[in-house]
Amino acid sequence: MLKITNLHVAVDDKPILKGLNLEVAAGELHAIMGPNGSGKSTLGYALAGRDGYEITSGAVDFEGRDLADMEPEERAAAGLFLAFQYPVEIPGVNNAYFLRAALNAQRAARGEPEVDSMAFLKAVRESLKALKMDESLLKRAVNEGFSGGEKKRNEIVQMAVLKPKLAILDETDSGLDIDALKLVAEGINRLRDPARSFVVITHYQRLLEYLEPDRVHVLSDGQIVESGGRELAERLESEGYAFLESDAVEV
Amino acid sequence: MSVLAENLLSDAVLADSYGAVRKRAQAELMRHGFPDIKTEAWKYTSLRALEKRSLVPGEHQPASPPPVPFDHHLLHIDAGRLLSDSSSLPSGISIEPVDSNRLAGLDYGNRGGAFGWLNLARFEQGLKVVINGRLDQPLMLALTTPDGHADACHPRIEIELTAGSRACLVQLDSSNGSGLVNAVIDLKVGENARLDHALSRHNGDAIWIERLDVALAAGADYRLVTLDGGGRLTRQDINVALNASGARCEVDGSVLIGARQHVDFHTAIDHCVGGTNSRERFRMLADGNGVGVFNGRIHIHPGADDSHSDLNTGNLLLSEQARINTKPELEIHAEEVTASHGATVGQLDEQALFYLRSRGLSAEAAANLLKTGFAAAPLETAVDDAVRQWLLANLGDWL
Repeated sequence: MLKITNLHVAVDDKPILKGLNLEVAAGELHAIMGPNGSGKSTLGYALAGRDGYEITSGAVDFEGRDLADMEPEERAAAGLFLAFQYPVEIPGVNNAYFLRAALNAQRAARGEPEVDSMAFLKAVRESLKALKMDESLLKRAVNEGFSGGEKKRNEIVQMAVLKPKLAILDETDSGLDIDALKLVAEGINRLRDPARSFVVITHYQRLLEYLEPDRVHVLSDGQIVESGGRELAERLESEGYAFLESDAVEV
Repeated sequence: MSVLAENLLSDAVLADSYGAVRKRAQAELMRHGFPDIKTEAWKYTSLRALEKRSLVPGEHQPASPPPVPFDHHLLHIDAGRLLSDSSSLPSGISIEPVDSNRLAGLDYGNRGGAFGWLNLARFEQGLKVVINGRLDQPLMLALTTPDGHADACHPRIEIELTAGSRACLVQLDSSNGSGLVNAVIDLKVGENARLDHALSRHNGDAIWIERLDVALAAGADYRLVTLDGGGRLTRQDINVALNASGARCEVDGSVLIGARQHVDFHTAIDHCVGGTNSRERFRMLADGNGVGVFNGRIHIHPGADDSHSDLNTGNLLLSEQARINTKPELEIHAEEVTASHGATVGQLDEQALFYLRSRGLSAEAAANLLKTGFAAAPLETAVDDAVRQWLLANLGDWL
């Protein structure tokens, strides 16, 4: 599904990712943990194609295609989704309109017909209900006036409607109370599928308690310095990131 | 005599029952002259484009009233003359000639008001519309010019709502010609009357200068929502006088300015007495080498205590060459008032563009969605559902 080889990314000419390697097979959920400033969000933005996140060397292969050659919307149409750490407010554009426009743009790019309006609304309503979000949200402007938790849940609603092949979730758990955290985890688990993969970027182990990560990686100073099963997340939780400095050479 | 005076005035004053009014207006205009960029209210709007026009009279087929997707009563004024059949109007709407005594008392001031004087000197047919009671459908006022119109015309319309009346006025300004439209619209909203006014305009090459004067009586409520789709040279003055306690107005607008276009909105809200309220929100978007001008003046007169006003202008520059001059202007001479204002000028938000593209929208579609969202906000305040949908559809077509 996703194969990242020796990825270097610079922001404002400053190297942030410094030779990152990661392989995610179809159906897998990988967690990426790491201290502040390690490059976690940069990885998400670079994969989604944000301007200013320049791939200086290395390769990102997504289902046989080189991501570096693709515009952000082409990546989306190919099945890549980034749940933002800070979802952006879009004043004046209502949620339902935006979501349908996005879905239809992706479908058009894939040569598929426009989505049926009724089926679309039904799918959106179900997703909203599952995330305990009010239907009135559909008529509100995208993320405008939403609480922090509502914004994060709205990302999961979008993911559920757009049904990506690969979802990258950038600290979707931050700022959530425990109930919202469970709803988000359930939203992710509902979409688990042998043909769909997840990269869950997180600061804390607690979201992983509700998910079943196939692999846990530790990102530090732009490289993956440690990989393991969920026990790695537990170790990080109890010991913090301090042990990295002594163990880093083990990779 | 200036180029403009030569082009626009004639030695022979029109001989009709308004002769004295016209003569006075022409004399005032000759005395003050036309504005230039040294005139404060015209600082950013040059009349060069008008000077360079050769305005030529000609025989043209009158325009058809533009279709709108809702039921309405129609007043169609083409090149300043009433074309529609006024006998089909309901009993609550009556039409009469404007009163020359009232015209004799008008004062458009010095050269800043030159086009008001010009209209008074040259108007084709002064129409006064009186609305009494509640209208069941919007009254559509279509101001058009004949196809291929290259002359000057000076529509003048007065609309009066009697006490307690309520109406929705939909004004549609359109011209596909290359002449000058110099319109004056006078609105009088009586005690406790309510007027919802939507103004939609989209012009190509015509030069459109319009002055809207609104006078509100006690408890009167006036709501204007305007969408301007741009034009070669457009100047819109909106003057609202809150003349008695309890009067309130809301003025909202979106202005879309494309390449080689210049649109200037000057608004002035006068809180003449206390206990009056106003709210105003304008959004401008300029693309290409388009130029936008917005001047929003709030004047709270001496003694107008307990008046409240809020003015907000937001602006989007869509290209490197586009320019917008925006200025909120507050003049406060009373106590215990609130007068808030804000002005922003920015570009499309890169982060928002990326967010939309990351969901699959093309760069162009993402930009369009952001522009639409920005410009739609003032239009959303239109009260009548069908009118609001119509404005939003126009916005979609013109962006």
